[in-house]
Amino acid sequence: MEQLLIKIGQNLFLVFGLMALGGAATMVLAKNAVHSVIGFLFAMLSMAGCYLTIGAEFMGVAQLLVYAGGIVVLFLFVVMLVELSKSREKGLFQRQTPFALVLVVAGAVAFVGVFWRTIFGSSAAEALTLSPNLMAQGEKLGNAQMLSRGLFAEYLLPFEILSVILLVALVGAVVLAKTERV
Amino acid sequence: MKKFLKTLIPFDIAKGLTITGTHFAKVFLSANRRKVPFHVVSEYPEVPAKMQPRFRGRLQMLKDEAGEIKCVCCLACEKICPTQVITIESGKKEGRKTKLPTRYDFEMERCIFCEFCVESCGFDAIILNHQFELAVYNREDMSLSMEGTFQNMFGVSPVAKFSVADEEK
Amino acid sequence: MPTPTLTQSLIIALLQAILVVVFIFVVVPLTLYAERKVLGYLQLRLGATRVAGSLTGLTGFVNRNMWKLGKVPMLSYWRGIVMLVGDVVKMIIKEDILPTKADKFVFFIAPAISFCASVIVFAAISFVPGTLFVLPKFIPIVGGLPVSGAVGDVNVGLLWILGIASVGVYGIVLAGWASNSKYPLLGGLRSGAQIVSYEVPLTLSLLAPVVMSGSLQFSEMSRSMAVGLPYWGIVPQFLGFFIYLTCGFAETNRLPFDMPEAENELVAGFHTEYSGMKFGFFYLAEYINMTVVAALASAFFLGGPWLMPFGLHGVLNPFFTAHLPAFLVPLLCEPHAIFFVVKIIFILFVYIWVRGTIPRYRYDQVMAVAWKYLIPLTLVNLMLAAAVRYLTV
Ligand code: SF4
Ligand code: SF4
Repeated sequence: MEQLLIKIGQNLFLVFGLMALGGAATMVLAKNAVHSVIGFLFAMLSMAGCYLTIGAEFMGVAQLLVYAGGIVVLFLFVVMLVELSKSREKGLFQRQTPFALVLVVAGAVAFVGVFWRTIFGSSAAEALTLSPNLMAQGEKLGNAQMLSRGLFAEYLLPFEILSVILLVALVGAVVLAKTERV
Repeated sequence: MKKFLKTLIPFDIAKGLTITGTHFAKVFLSANRRKVPFHVVSEYPEVPAKMQPRFRGRLQMLKDEAGEIKCVCCLACEKICPTQVITIESGKKEGRKTKLPTRYDFEMERCIFCEFCVESCGFDAIILNHQFELAVYNREDMSLSMEGTFQNMFGVSPVAKFSVADEEK
Repeated sequence: MPTPTLTQSLIIALLQAILVVVFIFVVVPLTLYAERKVLGYLQLRLGATRVAGSLTGLTGFVNRNMWKLGKVPMLSYWRGIVMLVGDVVKMIIKEDILPTKADKFVFFIAPAISFCASVIVFAAISFVPGTLFVLPKFIPIVGGLPVSGAVGDVNVGLLWILGIASVGVYGIVLAGWASNSKYPLLGGLRSGAQIVSYEVPLTLSLLAPVVMSGSLQFSEMSRSMAVGLPYWGIVPQFLGFFIYLTCGFAETNRLPFDMPEAENELVAGFHTEYSGMKFGFFYLAEYINMTVVAALASAFFLGGPWLMPFGLHGVLNPFFTAHLPAFLVPLLCEPHAIFFVVKIIFILFVYIWVRGTIPRYRYDQVMAVAWKYLIPLTLVNLMLAAAVRYLTV
């Protein structure tokens, strides 16, 4: 009993990973757009589960908050309000298929290359760590505290630059959405 | 600025909450002491409902102290009734100067309880009484007249228990 | 204390989950009943006092007895309680209607999402720090082990609660879409927009406790907000409490902000097409969400399982231990789950109180309250909290 439970606990990551894959497959294969969004949501929730099983609680919960709680809702809004039954819009999406395929293949190759190098390449021998003094503090600090120390003390500048990119995106959205008042 | 402050500090909401809170406390404390209730509803089927004086219930004919019918058959009520539910036939009686109705029919199913008939009567011979439990099992029970023991024009109608059919037996 | 093995801890977790479900299914029906009674009392009525308007048969018998109960002090408040049974029976035996044009799968899954999300949130809520009770020795596998006051007091508990609660909005939006009808769709969209915008001030107002306690763990936050604050910690807490409560009302779609339902405009909003137990799940989810919001408010602002609200307990605690008689000290100075539950019930009462007092806002007003007033106020509140933190640490 005990052994079995421990075994299951160790393989929970695999279970969640397979669930995420299933969700992603649903998202791609579903005929109805809203069903795809539900598949996407399921994949995101399973990903959060994956993070939780490997002990990255903050990442897991951030996944929940940002992706499941924010981004997929926006997806759902758009998909609900855009009816894809008109032939013109369908044609628009079908014309995109070859380009999308090329992009997907390029992305897949890049990802496989990265994975290949991390698993079998020369860097596989070293453990992946952010910075040694953070790791030392991580023993006594919690997950979230360590992450925030890394973000706001060690890597403040890259973090702020990333947020500036987000800000630019926001301003761009406002500019695009603004109508000229005459 | 004043408006801004008023929006920021919700005085009105606090005022409303105080009022409803007091109501809650008063009703909560008096709800089971049946002598001094603070709530305004009556517990109707067990406690008889209290009607306001101007409540308009069923049409009823009045008699004076001597037991004489007050109506003098001037037909004002019959004429003014918007739904024409009153039918009067006049007759004579020995020793009475004015006319006396021999028939006074009232079809309650179409009455809209507008009280025009009562207002038009110059002799205060009819009123709308305070009865509101007017449900009946048979449609005939809605037609009232001067005859009969239960469903007549002179008293309150019994509530859905006696019908004209019972009387005939 | 021996460290429990995996089997034992799993069994204990199961036990805790059952306890949480029992807690929910005791509190939620009582809230339903209290809603009727309290709303009645607020409006000078008596609320529910009988089951159905019959003088004969079973209901007649029940009604006559309830009428007699009305003369007994205390018991008279419980006269309409039979109505709860009636409600549940009605929901279970009512016909489950599926609209022809509805999307069957989504229509089925929407209430489930809503309900599950609101229950899972309870995993991170800690009713009392440390041990709730110790299991007696005679129980086979888990005898003698402590049962802690939370199912999983993870160190990102607050984020867990917010994250799962934000999944709950899918239930409403999907229900609106799946019914394939105009009013539910409008209701779902409105509620989606409302919940997404109120999540901003809600999270910002909960950031003040995070800043002041320096942790994201539920029990740690509740502890330091109750006993770890200097007396002027009350200032940001007080402001934050009211902002949080307002956002909580909006998040759970309760009356001053009940946009998704809006009976007079949208029939019944997102659950217009639902009936039977599927509707029942939405109904339950709304009340469970209310309980969650109440639990957060009572833990972070009203002192949680400690006696005093607004962090006063930490200030008064030395005084208490010095001057109170000895038998009162463990009662008043230590955390008890019962205080927590009492505070939850008080907030639920406030919910109903506000519902009975404040009329509904217009839709644009609801949005204006969130973006123009609450978000700037929460930022001010956050700065106050940061000042308190800066001056104490
Ligand atoms: S109350 Fe109105 S409708 Fe009824 S009998 Fe009198 S006049 Fe006619
Ligand atoms: S108005 Fe009065 S007096 Fe005249 S007929 Fe009618 S009830 Fe009789």
